[in-house]
Amino acid sequence: MSKNARTALILASIAAAFFVGIIAKYWLLR
Amino acid sequence: MSAVVDTHGHGHAGHDHGHGHHGPYGGIMRWITTTNHKDIGTLYLWFSFIMFSVGGTMALVIRAELFEPGLQIVNPDFFNQMTTMHGLIMVFGAIMPVFVGFANWQIPMMIGAPDMAFARLNNWSFWLLPFAATLLILSFFMPGGAPGVGWTMYSPLTVQMGIGMDFTIFAVHLLGMSSILGSINIITTILNMRAPGMTLMRMPLFVWTWLITAYLLVAAMPVLAGAVTMTLTDRHFGTSFFNAAGGGDPVLYQHIFWFFGHPEVYIIALPGFGVISQVIPAFSRKPLFGYASMVYATSAIAILSFIVWAHHMYTVGMPVTGQLFFMYATILIAVPTGVKVFNWVTTMWKGSLSFETPMLFACGFLFMFTLGGFTGLVLALVPIDIQLHDTYYVVAHFHYVMVAGALFAAFAGVYFWIPKWTGRMYNETLGKIHFWATLIFFNMIFFVQHFLGMAGMPRRIPDYPLMFETWNKISTIGAFGMGLAQVLFFYIVLDTIRNGKPAPQLPWEGADSLEWTHLPTPVPYHTFETQPTIR
Repeated sequence: MSKNARTALILASIAAAFFVGIIAKYWLLR
Repeated sequence: MSAVVDTHGHGHAGHDHGHGHHGPYGGIMRWITTTNHKDIGTLYLWFSFIMFSVGGTMALVIRAELFEPGLQIVNPDFFNQMTTMHGLIMVFGAIMPVFVGFANWQIPMMIGAPDMAFARLNNWSFWLLPFAATLLILSFFMPGGAPGVGWTMYSPLTVQMGIGMDFTIFAVHLLGMSSILGSINIITTILNMRAPGMTLMRMPLFVWTWLITAYLLVAAMPVLAGAVTMTLTDRHFGTSFFNAAGGGDPVLYQHIFWFFGHPEVYIIALPGFGVISQVIPAFSRKPLFGYASMVYATSAIAILSFIVWAHHMYTVGMPVTGQLFFMYATILIAVPTGVKVFNWVTTMWKGSLSFETPMLFACGFLFMFTLGGFTGLVLALVPIDIQLHDTYYVVAHFHYVMVAGALFAAFAGVYFWIPKWTGRMYNETLGKIHFWATLIFFNMIFFVQHFLGMAGMPRRIPDYPLMFETWNKISTIGAFGMGLAQVLFFYIVLDTIRNGKPAPQLPWEGADSLEWTHLPTPVPYHTFETQPTIR
């Protein structure tokens, strides 16, 4: 995997974690 | 003294133009299929100008209705739709894309990279935007019209709106996706594709501010996407995240929205800071004062922006301890911001100054943005904010930040780099007229709104008591004047492209970043295919 792809995947994972995390927090932890 | 110097014939090591590379496709296919960072930058800039015109027209409808008390032109429901769409279009369609346009054009050239890291992704990031804009505009034609909920899309109003709300939610999803993909591209390009010798602490400040902004976007935009997704499921799938009737909490929406919304302010402001940090040294003919402290101050602003969100919601009934925390945290942001203003002024101190249009806009930015920052401090104080919350004082404050801050910086950037982009000089006299008209009319619109707010005029109302009439009249006249000034800007840009005099490689003698020193004017379609070495 190229260095660029690795960087992009890490950043995309952070974005996905924020998106899923904010919904999951108030859905599952109410 | 003029900053324009003729450097035709200068050597420019490291560039690579005119040696048989293929050019762009002709016609419309060039723009649809392009993966060239300069083409995509141009697309972003024109798209943002179109959206700026649409959002500006909506502002004129708002101001025309407010010219005098009573309901004259539009009904209250349509007025609410106008304020909502004006905000959404200006924030997501005009100001954010204009700086992404700058990023696309400038970042590869400033760090010595041949293009962005993911060129096809870059094309897709842009082409999501017209579809999002179409969804936003289409919402006007849905039953019930566009949402009239305000750009913040607060619950429970969003649950009660018609199908236009769903169009807006999907538009926000697309806009967010575009921003996140664009940010990933920018961060990857800056971290991995700098030319040898271009260390992080040698990057132009514009690149630094965009690196930090892109991190903010990656963290903040998914939170907004989450908030509007929860709104969507509340509307159609029986959840009750924000719906009090089902056990949800409308204030929760405000917390989540502003956790995105305050970093968003800096997402808009920081690239503007970067542009100003390129323009002021160039026209002061001095290096930027306190480069390292500028980098640290920008980082500090970005970090602090995540812990101040609730200063937008002092009046929801939070505990005093909470109010105090958010008040002190907000006041703390004044420190790194003060460092930046100090460094810009100190860069000018004893410099060999000249005041071409980019520098005029930079100076206008310095004065007006500082005023906007100062009224921000006023609003950070809980006892005062409780009086001024949701009044025209707030409207005046954030327009000083968004227009006199971000938009003035964008104008400074366009005038600064347009010789590099087009190979032609703009008309300096017309540029100066554009600046002074924009500055004067801007203050006519918004300075008086401080008085209206302090006298108690609420925002987002189509009608008002007679006592507010005079300042509203002045504000509306200013709005139409400012609109006319932007028609002049459009003419200046077209005139530059068609009739401008050829620009030299280095039109501003104080400019020293790679795009000026290593590349000819106009820049060739492909640049830095041979990696330059920075000494």
